[in-house]
Amino acid sequence: MKIRAIAGSTFGVLLHNRILLLIVVLFLSWILLMMTPLAVMRHMTTAENAGRMQTEVLTMVSMVMGALSGFGSLLAAGCAAYAVAGEMKSGTILAVMARPVRRWEYLLGKFFGVQILLGAYVVGMLGLSYLLASLGGQRIHAPVWALIAYPLVRYAIYSAVALLLVTFFHPLVSLGIVWLIAIAIEFVTPSGGPHLMPAWLRTLLYYVLPSTNLLSESRFLALKEASLHQTGWLDHAITLAYGLDYAAVWLLLALWSFRSKGLTRD
Amino acid sequence: MASPVIEFREVTKVYRRGFRGQDVTALSGVSFQVFPGEVCAFLGPNGAGKTTSISILMGFVFEDSGEIQVLGYAPGDVRAKKQIGFVPENFAFYKHITATKLLEFHRALAGPAAGGSAPEIADLLARVGLDTYAKLRIGKYSRGMVQRLGIAQALLDEPQLLILDEPTSGLDPAGRKEVRELMLALKAAGKTIFLSSHILSEIEQICDRVIIINRGRLIRAGLFEEMRGQTSQVELVVDVLSEHLEQELRGRGAEITRAPQSVLVVVSAAQKRETAELLWAAGCDVLQMNPRKTSLEDLFLQLLEPGGGPA
Repeated sequence: MKIRAIAGSTFGVLLHNRILLLIVVLFLSWILLMMTPLAVMRHMTTAENAGRMQTEVLTMVSMVMGALSGFGSLLAAGCAAYAVAGEMKSGTILAVMARPVRRWEYLLGKFFGVQILLGAYVVGMLGLSYLLASLGGQRIHAPVWALIAYPLVRYAIYSAVALLLVTFFHPLVSLGIVWLIAIAIEFVTPSGGPHLMPAWLRTLLYYVLPSTNLLSESRFLALKEASLHQTGWLDHAITLAYGLDYAAVWLLLALWSFRSKGLTRD
Repeated sequence: MASPVIEFREVTKVYRRGFRGQDVTALSGVSFQVFPGEVCAFLGPNGAGKTTSISILMGFVFEDSGEIQVLGYAPGDVRAKKQIGFVPENFAFYKHITATKLLEFHRALAGPAAGGSAPEIADLLARVGLDTYAKLRIGKYSRGMVQRLGIAQALLDEPQLLILDEPTSGLDPAGRKEVRELMLALKAAGKTIFLSSHILSEIEQICDRVIIINRGRLIRAGLFEEMRGQTSQVELVVDVLSEHLEQELRGRGAEITRAPQSVLVVVSAAQKRETAELLWAAGCDVLQMNPRKTSLEDLFLQLLEPGGGPA
């Protein structure tokens, strides 16, 4: 009940955050911007070029959603960092923690509050991807549950990482570190960017950093019906379990670290 | 004697500022006790360590050494927090919710066994004069209203111990009087109140125990009546006093202070009858005659002077 109350209040506070409001406005602006090219593509689709147009529309939807989804990762980290640091800065944490609330209950409540918001974000993204695909005259063949579960697990990882970091650093520093982690992930994946670091370091980081590329829903968005069955249930289960396990470890570290944190305003 | 509600034993706290910054000793070997049913004033100038002490008491920050017990438990223990009502200095809360929602949220945080039904919440808001603003968002509240709301949330679920950090800051004189009366009612109900404030004249009227700290060290702790003591002087307040009589009284060793509406005459206890008769004979109306006691403010300032004396 306490965790639920804290999660609910966290969600309410995040919803009333002006920066988040700005993000929603940008989100809506993005929809408006993408409508035109997709509508043009739909108009240009003929029986001869249907296959190529399907690929182009789905690739475009995947690109847009990839950008929004990547932004969601930073949003997850930002919201988690702000949820704790903002309360400490304003002093609202003192009245809450004066109640018979344990520190782990507080932090868990904050984590779930952030997940509720991110759940709403994911649902918004899902709706947008279907809207964009339909504007391009195509259908998304990936299962709906995968488009919800994958980003949610990825966001859970980023918010857990940010929760741990914010027990040590300023929220902006925490966000910066998360951003660097997100970039580093791109360089250490076997199929990722240029090899800028020694092999041993690359291997080490590959195992230490979260493999969020595996948890990206964008790879499903570009799939055509014919190639949909490439990912089996076992693959899904293993990938998601890996992601949840990774998030749980970081969250436990955050809970442990928060035990001894001073709850002062500075 | 009953076991103390609050006990500090040789508590030390040092804030470490970064890797190269200077360490700041906020508390150094502070010890004191507060007993059930007492109103305890926790005093000290700005930066004395009051808020640090209260933060340690609530489990918000941790001491470097020493022992602390609150209601028989370690600070931050939920069993203790169930019986504590707390008003932080500059109480702040989510601005987008109403007072009723805030108290409902706090009720949820207190757990399923907590009191605070809807009528109790309405009653609490009425007690602090916010019943007509119950549906207004907290963001629209004035500083004083937020402070009243802070007091209301502290009273939720009938706590045994109230810890109030500057509870009257931001309140107008009428609001301060209401809070003082509320504290007197809580004291009469047997609650223990531990409060820090800079408005000594108000605290003086309600406190049983005084703890004074300065620069992280305990200066004095004890029962207020014992600390202020009784001097061997008597204060007489008269409506008017002629120049001639003033000269005569000064000649007998009296201290005289003129105020716009009255005149204060301070004499030794041995001279009180003689002085009163002299004033009556001269046609002066003696409005008050009381033994002179050291005010909390005098005591506070006296103890904070260099060489004012440690505990």
